[in-house]
Amino acid sequence: MKELTCEDVLMSQMAAADGEEPEFSKQQLSTHIASCANCQHELHQFQALDQLLTGHTLSEPRVNLWPAIENGIAKRTDWQPFALIGLLLVIYKLLEMLPARDPGMAFKLVPLIIVVLLFVFIRENPFRINTELLLER
Amino acid sequence: MDDAEAIKRCQQGDREAFRHLVERYQRRAVAQAMVILFNRDDAEDAVQEAFIDAFKAIGTFDTSRTFYQWFYVLLRNRCYKLTGRRRPTESLDEASLLAAQPGMADETRLVLEKALHSLTREEREIVSLKYFSGLSYDELAAHLQIPRGTVMSRLFYARQRLQSKLSEV
Repeated sequence: MKELTCEDVLMSQMAAADGEEPEFSKQQLSTHIASCANCQHELHQFQALDQLLTGHTLSEPRVNLWPAIENGIAKRTDWQPFALIGLLLVIYKLLEMLPARDPGMAFKLVPLIIVVLLFVFIRENPFRINTELLLER
Repeated sequence: MDDAEAIKRCQQGDREAFRHLVERYQRRAVAQAMVILFNRDDAEDAVQEAFIDAFKAIGTFDTSRTFYQWFYVLLRNRCYKLTGRRRPTESLDEASLLAAQPGMADETRLVLEKALHSLTREEREIVSLKYFSGLSYDELAAHLQIPRGTVMSRLFYARQRLQSKLSEV
């Protein structure tokens, strides 16, 4: 059987007090607590903290964010057709600059395309909404 | 209109249905953003941006979760992005985090807010979701996208730190 540390016991005991399934049996926990003054002290402190926190709720301020949100949604979607037209014009202009049978210009464009792709896919795509949790700093 | 119906209509581009979701959750969202940012203006900015993200990404809504659980991830991401360019933290009087409770001294609430203010964002967030939003460990794991074991340990250390901060206050 795994030797219980104070941390194991305290975490399990706190989970039990929160109404969750503890990781260790009641008997294992009570045997350790009975002989450990540190755990007894910590649990006493935890109960006091629990009492202090219970009964509080977050203050929910009266707000009406809908006008700003509606405006933001419109702004984020309105520019997209113009951006697409702009992009197509740039591509057209670049293609027009290519001499008919000279591949030299095409080779010059390759690094530019690579840089654009790196920026978009590796650094951060500014048009992508991340629905996964960001790593915490 | 329930959330499922509203989401279905939002996916067809119905902004009125989205308004319904905003009006249902905006106050809770601002309160929870305040826990992370401790600044009312930043919290409102983060909530606005997160709702705009939600509207744009509603097509990818994961039906195995509730709307708010899914939205909370967007909100949290926005809050963490804002922390890099945040305004100076408000004084505790301005940034009231907890609601006044009948029969409970204001002084107790202020002491608690002060202690919460001195915790890290992650610690404050997990304590708040557990106690003030009443989430179970499984719900905490879903909200924070971490394993249940990590919920237990993070909560344990957050409580220890809060206890120690309270004894300093």
